[in-house]
Amino acid sequence: MGNKQTIFTDEQLDAYQDCTFFTRKEILRLHSRYYELAPNLVPMDYTADPDVKLPIQLIINMPELMENPFKERIVETFSEDGEGNLSFNDFVDMFSVLSEMAPRELKAIYAFKIYDFNTDNFICKSDLEKTLNKVTREELTEEEVTLVCEKVIEEADMDGDGKLAFADFENMISKAPDFLSTFHIRI
Amino acid sequence: MSYHYNEGFETDDDEYHHLDTLEIDRSRPSQKFSVLSENPYGSDENYSNVRQRRMDYPEVISMASVQPASARIQHAPEHTALYREPYNGGFSNLGFENENERDFVDKPSFISHSQDRYSDSFSAGGDGNSKGSIRSLSQKQMYHSTLPFNLISTEHDIVMERVNKEEKYALIKKLTAMSNRERNKAIKKLPLVLREKQEIRNTVQLMVKKESKTWATQTGCCADCLKNTTVSFRRFKETLSEIKQALQLWQKTLKVIGGKFGTSILSYFIFLRWLLAFNIFSFIINFSFITIPQFVDLRPNNLSFTGLELLTGSGYFQETVLYYGFYTNSTIRKDDNFAPYNMQLAYIFIIGLYLVICFLILLYSIAKSFRDNFINPVMYSGSATKLLCSWDFNITHEKAVKLAQQHMSTHIKEDLSEKQEKLVLTSCQQTVHFLIHLTVWIVTTGMAVGCCAAVYYLSESRKELLVNATSDIESQRESLLQPAVISLINLIMPFVFSLFELIEKFNSPKHQIYTIIFRNVILKLSIIGVLCQYWFQTIASGTKCWESFIGQDIYRLVVFDFIFCLLGSFVGEFLRRIIGTRCCKTLGKPEFDIARNVLDLIYAQTLAWIGIYFSPLLPLIQIIKLFILFYVKKESLRMNCLPPRKAWRASQMTTVFIFLLFFPSFIGVLVVIGVTVWRRTPSEECGPFQGLNVPFDAISNWIATITGEANLSWVVWIYDNLIKSELFFFLLTLLALIITYLYWQIIQGRKIMIKLLQEQIVNGGKDKMFLLQKLRKLQEMDGFNMSHSSVKQYKASDKMQENAQYSRDTDHHQGAQSGALALAMQARQQASAEEHEQHLEMNSHSALALALKARHQAEVELDDY
Repeated sequence: MGNKQTIFTDEQLDAYQDCTFFTRKEILRLHSRYYELAPNLVPMDYTADPDVKLPIQLIINMPELMENPFKERIVETFSEDGEGNLSFNDFVDMFSVLSEMAPRELKAIYAFKIYDFNTDNFICKSDLEKTLNKVTREELTEEEVTLVCEKVIEEADMDGDGKLAFADFENMISKAPDFLSTFHIRI
Repeated sequence: MSYHYNEGFETDDDEYHHLDTLEIDRSRPSQKFSVLSENPYGSDENYSNVRQRRMDYPEVISMASVQPASARIQHAPEHTALYREPYNGGFSNLGFENENERDFVDKPSFISHSQDRYSDSFSAGGDGNSKGSIRSLSQKQMYHSTLPFNLISTEHDIVMERVNKEEKYALIKKLTAMSNRERNKAIKKLPLVLREKQEIRNTVQLMVKKESKTWATQTGCCADCLKNTTVSFRRFKETLSEIKQALQLWQKTLKVIGGKFGTSILSYFIFLRWLLAFNIFSFIINFSFITIPQFVDLRPNNLSFTGLELLTGSGYFQETVLYYGFYTNSTIRKDDNFAPYNMQLAYIFIIGLYLVICFLILLYSIAKSFRDNFINPVMYSGSATKLLCSWDFNITHEKAVKLAQQHMSTHIKEDLSEKQEKLVLTSCQQTVHFLIHLTVWIVTTGMAVGCCAAVYYLSESRKELLVNATSDIESQRESLLQPAVISLINLIMPFVFSLFELIEKFNSPKHQIYTIIFRNVILKLSIIGVLCQYWFQTIASGTKCWESFIGQDIYRLVVFDFIFCLLGSFVGEFLRRIIGTRCCKTLGKPEFDIARNVLDLIYAQTLAWIGIYFSPLLPLIQIIKLFILFYVKKESLRMNCLPPRKAWRASQMTTVFIFLLFFPSFIGVLVVIGVTVWRRTPSEECGPFQGLNVPFDAISNWIATITGEANLSWVVWIYDNLIKSELFFFLLTLLALIITYLYWQIIQGRKIMIKLLQEQIVNGGKDKMFLLQKLRKLQEMDGFNMSHSSVKQYKASDKMQENAQYSRDTDHHQGAQSGALALAMQARQQASAEEHEQHLEMNSHSALALALKARHQAEVELDDY
């Protein structure tokens, strides 16, 4: 119990609780996970809000992310500086969105960002190609890739501009019931 | 300069899609209209290339990005002056140079901008309901984060900042006005960085505190007290949820399973755990309110224990608290200090309470699962969702990831080949298909009927055997035959049914799976139905202490079902794996059949529910069974099985399974227990209800005794006016039906509206494309006329125009030349044209927004429904 007090103050824990989908215990567990990633960088005492960021290489080696084909994108999406360095806040944020409790709308927003490889706010053909290569281990021929991407756009693009805007994506997500359970990382 | 073209094009694009960004862009009207007129990029293809390239050169960016935004903006002209050199030289490859140059200038700005991009996103909080505002807020945040940045946007930034502050204030105000719970929910949902969320939260809390303080000074210490209570209540709720989480069994194991086999198989284990929770709850209340009081009034047990009883449930167990017959009908009174305990009432109330709670939980689970998984009537089955929504983020095991990737690529390949050679069936083939389906249906139904008949005759003949049996042991052995046969049927028939798959070739896997589930459910539940018929007709009328007898029957069925389940996973999974990997290599490892396994669970649970009246401690057996089953299935899965190759709509199937558990299973159980309580005469020598006409008389008698007591008159009133009166139930049913009809009609209306709005969006998109093309054509012509056709001139005027823009915003007046002015004028013209387009675009967007809103409404409706 004494341990609890040294890592975060009560107010901090309250704030985390109010802003994420985690309980106190989970926040503390997340901290210990974060701490384990780099024991010499991350302090045990977070009461003073230290400015510590872990580079992307450390984060993507977590067993939860290691085998995920989208690991770099996930980390980049949640890093505040856009380059993949995660502060503890970003770290908590990431697993909060990916947790079971997060609502569909929130998950959809971040899923869209993850699939939007070139961060132009559209899922365009090149993004789709990248996604496809990641989920199939580049086993498809180029022709097949183009075909599939065209089909995807044709199916999901509502306003006919040849790429998927967030509205298109959200509309699609609402029709994919499994999304809620698959866009989820247990920690 | 060319990056203006890029920028403009991009702005243009952003605007097309996001209503929210419109206002922002309007606040800097002079900048963007220079744009489309000489856009060198005709297609989106180029545009994405630009972006991609930008991604590819991060090292170019890092240097510039170090500078703070304001400093950079002031130095902007020098920057461009520096980079103008190579740019001018690159006439030959105009487009390419442009892009590179853009890389330089745009990326740093993006980064510096990103610092305040979150504050920008507050802007939408001003109006609309909370959900809407948060939604648009999120969109704005997304789009604003990469809004094209201009070197000249200092002024814009200042304006924006002010606007943002106002909007942020509006959002905070709105959050303050919400109730505590809603506010927490809303804050959690904000798609912002945690730090920002915390800031908002703190500000909101301060505001709330201030408000409540002013309020408190008026109302005094009462408010203080209230506040303390709410705080402690909140703490209490938190601890409760923490305890709940700590009690969640197998958290880690489930994570491993999910990591190795994906969500679909995980859903089976979660279902199992859910059933376990039901049984634990039922065991706890039964044990503490029925069994423990009975221990006080224990009768001696003279029967010997041989070991066979574990299997048969009879013999020694007959005289234990396991069965109905052991419970007393008297009022238990240990000594005068304790209040008397009426066993009759306890028995009927506890069972009733448990069933009511189960009913509510099931109803709630169905509604929740339905809301989450069946929102839209139209499901995409196409490749879009397959590609973007089906990747399972749960899986963390290397092999599993590889397997999933393999499945995905084969799926996509299959899909493509299917599309290419999609056969149109002739009417003759269709008839053949139909006939095959019909025959298979007749055969399977016939088999199910045959099985039921076999079970019935077996039970009937068993009764005679029981009468003739000479010794107790012998009769016990004979009693094992019936459950063994039933379990065998349950084990083998699903395999036989799945063999029919080979003959019937279903077009869609969904169709196939539903058919198989339907057949299995019919088989299993009709067997239970036949058993119930046998119990009520034959056993209930002619057997001594028939309730205990039925309890024993159910006990045996549960135990045998368990044994055969283990046997099934041994034969169906272990031996099958040995055969598949050693003897016949083409077969390979078996797939884990989720549907069959879940149906087994549902069947076992139905038995356990029926048995709860006849054998109050049956949940204990079920708990042990499920517990062992979990580990056995886990090991079997790890050693023998592969995840299913076909796409398994895990969440949808979960909904279907919960529904199956509710509708034929639980409702059937209610009927059976209802018949027992209201219609059957309880046995005269044993059990809590001996001597009564029907068990329900226990309640009527109790009501009769308390009618005179003043402090219990409300119970009597409830009994007389609600429970006993048909009118009340009639009205209740009527009300439920009316509400259902109303919601149904509303949903129908919404569906039509959604369809219309979607059509509108499509039309809007078409209009947009058409106008865009037309505009481009016009621009090309105009541009050709205006600029003096030579490339050199074109470039020069270009540069000047850019200079002119700089001068406007940075006070570095460079001396505008007439060519630049002319171009600027032209840009103005363009502006009006673009404005027109924006309106159109707004239409399509408002249509989209409406459609989304309508959909959302429908969701909420469905939820309520």
